[in-house]
Amino acid sequence: MEVQGNRMTQINAAPPTGNFKRNPPIAGEADALERAKNGDPDAFSKLYALHKRRVYTLCLRMLGNVSEAEDMTQEAFLHLYRKLGSFRGESAFSTWLHRLTVNLVLMHLRKKGLQLVSLEETINPSEEDAPRRDFGSRDPRLSGSVDRVALERAVATLPPGYRLVFVLHDVEGYEHNEIAEMLECSTGNSKSQLHKARLKLREILRQNEQITASQESK
Amino acid sequence: MSELGKKRWTCAEFEKALPDLFERAEGGKLSADPQFAEILRDCPQAAELVRDLEYIAETARLLMEPEDEDPSTDLWSKIQREIGSDGVAAKESMQ
Repeated sequence: MEVQGNRMTQINAAPPTGNFKRNPPIAGEADALERAKNGDPDAFSKLYALHKRRVYTLCLRMLGNVSEAEDMTQEAFLHLYRKLGSFRGESAFSTWLHRLTVNLVLMHLRKKGLQLVSLEETINPSEEDAPRRDFGSRDPRLSGSVDRVALERAVATLPPGYRLVFVLHDVEGYEHNEIAEMLECSTGNSKSQLHKARLKLREILRQNEQITASQESK
Repeated sequence: MSELGKKRWTCAEFEKALPDLFERAEGGKLSADPQFAEILRDCPQAAELVRDLEYIAETARLLMEPEDEDPSTDLWSKIQREIGSDGVAAKESMQ
């Protein structure tokens, strides 16, 4: 596995300024952090145990692929191992680790083919994928019983560009200016992509509700 | 009242402006903003759209805490192997 050591040293791991209270203190984390900084392998193992699920879930949501998500989780913890000494506690550790992971995943996506072209252009999905909506059209409402499992499944089927912005903003709590910086696009583009992502999710969720209703009526 | 509040919206204009309006709304809750009460009352389809999009955004916050998705059990072994072969560079960074 390739490790992107040099480029990652320039990553801005500033804390997100979103409204979400995402980082309650985790029991045992501070102690493990200090010991891991001093080279204690058991302490690093403890940090992995504490954060593996959130890091993996973040990778999985951003990538929509189990195998790639595992690779990027590995990459994130290897990078953490190398850069742990540079963590100064200016933000919560989990915030720092999250941002590090987001940046690694975005770098990975660029390496897959987006590095030479602005994400602003490439994150726009094809017209076929775009949510179809006519102004003034009346659609059936969502039932109000969409649970996290249904939403999780719907998010997984979003086109990659929509999924990225939706996960970063609505799930992870990043602001549009932060997302614009990360994706190298304009804040207007980030807002527009988020809106299209929500419209697309509404369309997918409504379709799923209709399918379920028709199955139940048989 | 803001400029947006004074504006006389058509349903189409309002729907087109939604990406910006959601961003400006307190807590992303456009339906709770009194300056849009009139347009939401006059455009039921826009009101339903706003309601659904707010609902999706609210439900999305539930996804932040992962439930039961763990990486495979052998991932830690792989990381340990990589760390083991990483040598001095890794150790230096941890000092």
